Amino acid sequence: MSELFADHLLSLVVFVPAAGAALLLFFPESQAKAAKMFALAVSVVEFALSVPLWTRFGVAASGFQFSERMAWIPSLGISYSVGIDGISLVLILLTTLLTPVSLLFSVTHVEKSVRAFSIAFLMLETGMIGSLAALDLALFYVFWEVMLVPMYFIIGIWGGARRIYAAMKFFLFTMAGSLLMFLAILYLAVRHRASTGAWSFLLADLTRLDLPSSTQALLFFAFALAFAIKVPVFPLHTWLPDAHTEAPTAGSIILAGVLLKLGVYGYLRFALPLFPDAAARYAPWVGVLGVIGVIYGAMVAYAQKDMKRLVAYSSVSHLGLVVVGIGAFTATALSGAILQMINHGLSTGALFLLVGVLYERRHTREISAYGGIAGVVPVTTALFVIATLSSIGLPGLNGFVGEFLILVGTWTSPHRWWSVAAATGVILSAVYMLSLVQRIFWNPLTHEENRAIPEIRKSELLAASVLVVLMIWIGVRPNDVLSRLGPSVEAVRQSVTQKRIQAGGGRGQAPSLRYEGRPRASAEVTR
Amino acid sequence: MTAWAQDLRAIAPEIALAAMGSLIVLLDAFAPSTRRWFATLSLAAIAASLYLLLRAPLGATFAGRLDTSELTRAVGLFLGATAAIAILVAKPYLARTGEEKGEFYALLLWGHLGVSLMTRGLDLLTVFIGLETLSLCFYVLAAFFRGIEASSEAGLKYFLTGALGSAFTVYGIVFLFGKSGSVKISSLAQPGLAGDPLVILALLLLLVGFGFKMSLAPFHGWAPDVYQGMPTPAVAYLSVAPKGASLLVLYRVLTAVFQEGMPDRFRAGVAALAILSMTLGNVVALAQRDVKRLLAYSGIAHMGYVTIALAVFGADSLAAVIVYFFAYLVSNAGAFAAVAALYRDETKPHPIGLLAGEGRRSPFPAAVFALCLFSLAGIPATAGFIGKFFVFKAAIERGLYALAVIGVLNSLISIGYYLKVVYLMYMRETVEPEGPAPMAIADRLALSLCAAGILVLGIFPAALWDLARRAAQTLPFTSP
Repeated sequence: MSELFADHLLSLVVFVPAAGAALLLFFPESQAKAAKMFALAVSVVEFALSVPLWTRFGVAASGFQFSERMAWIPSLGISYSVGIDGISLVLILLTTLLTPVSLLFSVTHVEKSVRAFSIAFLMLETGMIGSLAALDLALFYVFWEVMLVPMYFIIGIWGGARRIYAAMKFFLFTMAGSLLMFLAILYLAVRHRASTGAWSFLLADLTRLDLPSSTQALLFFAFALAFAIKVPVFPLHTWLPDAHTEAPTAGSIILAGVLLKLGVYGYLRFALPLFPDAAARYAPWVGVLGVIGVIYGAMVAYAQKDMKRLVAYSSVSHLGLVVVGIGAFTATALSGAILQMINHGLSTGALFLLVGVLYERRHTREISAYGGIAGVVPVTTALFVIATLSSIGLPGLNGFVGEFLILVGTWTSPHRWWSVAAATGVILSAVYMLSLVQRIFWNPLTHEENRAIPEIRKSELLAASVLVVLMIWIGVRPNDVLSRLGPSVEAVRQSVTQKRIQAGGGRGQAPSLRYEGRPRASAEVTR
Repeated sequence: MTAWAQDLRAIAPEIALAAMGSLIVLLDAFAPSTRRWFATLSLAAIAASLYLLLRAPLGATFAGRLDTSELTRAVGLFLGATAAIAILVAKPYLARTGEEKGEFYALLLWGHLGVSLMTRGLDLLTVFIGLETLSLCFYVLAAFFRGIEASSEAGLKYFLTGALGSAFTVYGIVFLFGKSGSVKISSLAQPGLAGDPLVILALLLLLVGFGFKMSLAPFHGWAPDVYQGMPTPAVAYLSVAPKGASLLVLYRVLTAVFQEGMPDRFRAGVAALAILSMTLGNVVALAQRDVKRLLAYSGIAHMGYVTIALAVFGADSLAAVIVYFFAYLVSNAGAFAAVAALYRDETKPHPIGLLAGEGRRSPFPAAVFALCLFSLAGIPATAGFIGKFFVFKAAIERGLYALAVIGVLNSLISIGYYLKVVYLMYMRETVEPEGPAPMAIADRLALSLCAAGILVLGIFPAALWDLARRAAQTLPFTSP
């Protein structure tokens, strides 16, 4: 029994939420409370199931663990093939953590069609975890697209005033990106068949393909576009403020916490190893777009009057920093970028949650409608301040570690000036976030109705505390996460550089040295 | 066994359909009290016909005029399933509209017979007789609501354009007969025939004629009007089965003529039709306000996608066509079944605005409708995605990248109108004070079957793909 459990642990983690959603179909519509509690219970069980992934994960081993493989469409070599390395591991845990947090928050705040909401949320969780675990490109694409539908409903049914516009925009943008990726995946499989005689959609097989550099460039664009829209990389970010602002709080938490990261994850997992030449050639552009995102996102965030929109634009800025780290491609910067994704999930998740707490009480997101409520809601204030400090990278909290690693790692790459430019974004983030805190919680209390804002509820407090505890934990012991990332990050770097070396460097004209960075310096920091 | 007995066994599926249709008409006239059993009888006839088809020995009969092969078995399964869903939807629909008459079922069964003959015919006259049987039955079905102007209009329009389409088909057949000296499809496989300009002209005429039946742009004009006025269950059949049969006939003829593979210029023409149909269907669908017209234009677009597979031409792409039509069957027939269940008044148009809020008021049909629309849009884990997957895979294998790219961009456009319907059902408050009539068991069964089909084919497509591949190998493709 335990062996069966161990052998199929990952599949269990992938499909338990979907099974929960299927069971929810049999709940009567009137039993709203029971449906909520059941969904929450499923997500907690799901988290408990994912913990053994963390504890049993072989820290020293590179390569994929908990691998499972089953034929799916055998005549086309499509298989249900899953497995995780350190990068997917930490993102899966982030997902299984943020889902119960979101559902816990929603217990008191979602009243409309509760059963459907719970089903959508659990289906979304399966989609996200499936995308993070898939090692077969066809399987990945299925999970990747399956995420869209529940998110569309979550924004469109339970969202704010302009929810329908936002939901449609979200769906169309994301779909637009992934359709070309779909053709690129088919092309890769057809090429594999042409060169080896056998069909395969496995990532491991397709990375062995030897593609001419012009083809690589086209395919790389198809993949990169899909992922860049998801992240979102400037200038493809315009769907994000709308979707984040109009989504219900739980939806914003998941959207910012996990969905955006899948773009970066997809880039690391698929685009880089499949098209190393093209990726190396366009890496400078990736970094530059990241830098633009950092500064642009920060400046636009500062100008916002709506607090949720402000947090949304702060995501553009923070994800920009992650993209800078990916573009720099040193081991340090990569580890930092992945850690920063987790950090951003925690801090922005907490910020959206607390903004949701305020919104549910005052029913406005206008920053000017608040002010001076620190004395009215001291606990909320304290939590908000901690989340803010985490978000702006105060040492001792998680955000600092990630930002520091990215900046240091980028400094040791050939693109020093990115580091300089991105650092200004870090300062700007302090400006807009602290001014937000000032305008909401301090400043004089001018609106009388704000005197009566009720304090945070127990369920909301529990949800927020989980995130705060993790912020402190990662801030103090970042190595618990970094040690699991190290070998996987190295493996990603190897898969790119080795393939380029094997090919003799003759295929692409890209300067191959640029990609190596300075391993000596980076190795020290990742330790 | 004598040849005569062989022939009889081969044609038995069609005999069963014809006999039951006649029986129903007689019962309707002489024992009207049996009317409530007509749907059951029709379903039994469909089941018996399918059983006889699967049991019939493989091989050509009637001196090489009627085909019984893996291909006709797979296609028979597709046609039978379409007819069964149409009948399930028809029973409560006709009861609601007070038109529970025998001729509906009889015409549907006879029309089904015609479609079946089309797909099994090995000579062009058999195919044409099948086509005309189908057409005559559905001209009448289109005008089934005699009292409603839109229905009479639909009947007349379908008749006039259908007759024009048939004329093109006959012309094509005549030229082929003149050139090859026989109406048998197999006799088209003569050396030198593929390069003959008159033969190419004949093939183009057939493309136009069957393009009418497929509602392939620019021969699509009739579809929106006819769908709008025709009883919805008949549309569920007409919008799926004859289209699949027409494309199969084209495949048969082209395979026989183009032994050395499809010439590039001919392929360019087919590709142009595909592009036109996809783009026109999707763009015009965006502007539709009536759900049946919207689905009509969606169907025009889908025929464009599947015509990509005709342009690819080869055993695997024929298999892709078969998979596509199975997927289209569950999605599109399911969508019309949901339309039948969601609208109250059949005598009036079906504006999509009336669907507002049905997601909460009629959760089951609305959820199935949404699933069908997502499947038509090609979202993964649904049958529709699998259909597109194989078609686009075939296109890329053949190196038709531009077609594939135009195809996926069209899928993006289509999301605009499919999601509009979903949004109305789930994100708006109801406008119609009265909800749709309570659902009958037959409605629920039809919707459940389609929903299950969408998910099962979408998640476990391997079995269908293998079936389709075996079926496709029946045709003598020489190119890989």
